[in-house]
Amino acid sequence: MTTTLPPLIEADIHEMDGALGEFLKQTDATTALIIDKGGFMITHQGDARRFDLTTIAALASGAYMANETIANLVHESKFNSVYQQGEKASMFVNCIDEHCLLVIIFASKLSVGAIKYFAAPAAEKIAEQLKSAQERDPGSGFDLSALNVADTESLFRKRA
Amino acid sequence: MAILNAATKEIQLKIVYYGPALCGKTTNLVQVHKRVQTAPGNKGRLVSLATNSDRTLFFDFLPIEAKTIKGFKTKFQLYTVPGQVIYNATRQLVLRGVDGVVFVADSQYSKMAENVESFQNLEENLRTVKLNLADIPYVLQYNKRDLEGAAPVEYLEFLLNSREVQVPSFPATAHDCGGVFETLNAISRALLSKFINQHAPQVTA
Repeated sequence: MTTTLPPLIEADIHEMDGALGEFLKQTDATTALIIDKGGFMITHQGDARRFDLTTIAALASGAYMANETIANLVHESKFNSVYQQGEKASMFVNCIDEHCLLVIIFASKLSVGAIKYFAAPAAEKIAEQLKSAQERDPGSGFDLSALNVADTESLFRKRA
Repeated sequence: MAILNAATKEIQLKIVYYGPALCGKTTNLVQVHKRVQTAPGNKGRLVSLATNSDRTLFFDFLPIEAKTIKGFKTKFQLYTVPGQVIYNATRQLVLRGVDGVVFVADSQYSKMAENVESFQNLEENLRTVKLNLADIPYVLQYNKRDLEGAAPVEYLEFLLNSREVQVPSFPATAHDCGGVFETLNAISRALLSKFINQHAPQVTA
C-alpha cells in the first residue's frame, strides 16, 4: 500500500484529462473532476466557470469519507460510490483508488445509469495512470531545491 | 498529503487547526480570510459547516494561495476540526491527508485539562490515519492571552511543548488577529521546507 499520491507530470495530467474528456463526450455530463481524498483538486474537464471547484473538491471528499465511515458502521468495507440527486444538478462520486475520487456534476435529467456505466471505465483508466506515476522513479524531474523558503519573506501578509 | 503538480507548477498543502472546543480555531480562519493581503482570485471562500449555534459540526475550510516562489504556485488549504469531544469521528476524517497542524490551546487555567486531552487526542487520531505527530510539522498557538485567567506561557510550554523536539509556539489573541499570521506563516514555511527537502536531489557517496 502506498502512503502518498505520487508527483504528477504533464503526461499524467494529459492522460487523465483525456479520460475525463472522453467521459464527458459519452455522457454529456457538465463537469468531471479528479480529487484526492484529502480534498485537493488534481484536474478537471468541462464547465468550470459556473462552479467553485476548489470548494466542491473539499466538500465532496469530506462527504465521501463520511460515507466510508458509515459503510464501516454497517460492516461494509466501503461504499464505492456516492450519488446526490438534485432537481437541476446532481453529483456522482466514484472511487478511483486508495487516494483519489472521480467527481461528476451532471444535469439531473441525464440518466444516472449511464453516468455510472461510463464512470467505471474512466476511473479504471485514471487509476492505471496514477499507478504508472507511482511506479516512476520518485526523484525523476522534481528537483525543487531552487525553491528556497529561507529566501522568501512572510508567505502571508496581514492587510494594514 | 501534499500534491505536486508539475504540469501546472502547483504545490498544494493541507493545514489543520486542531484544539479543544471554543479555543479559537474558527476565529483564526475568519481572521485570515478577513485580513490577508492577496492578489485577486488567490483567496477562496470561507466555508463553515456549523450547527445552528455556530459551533463547528464538520469543518471550516479556507483555500488560500501564497505568493509564487520561483514560478511555483503554493496553495494552502486551511481546515479546522470540531473541538467538541463527541465529534471524534469527524476529526479523524478531517485529518486525512494532513500535511501540517496548528494546535490552538486555550490559555485559561480552567482549560488546561481540555488542552492536554485534545493534544493526546490529536496524537491518537493521527495514528488512525497512519501518521505520527513526530513526522509532520506542527506549531502551537496559545490563544486568549488577553483574558484575566490566562496561565503563564511557561506553564503552557511545560504542558504541551516539553517533548524531545520543541516546536515554535505563538501567543495569540485571535479575536483581534494577534498572533494569527505569525502562526500561519510559521507552519507554512515549515511545511514548504519539508516538502522542498523531500524533493531535493539525494546525494549519494
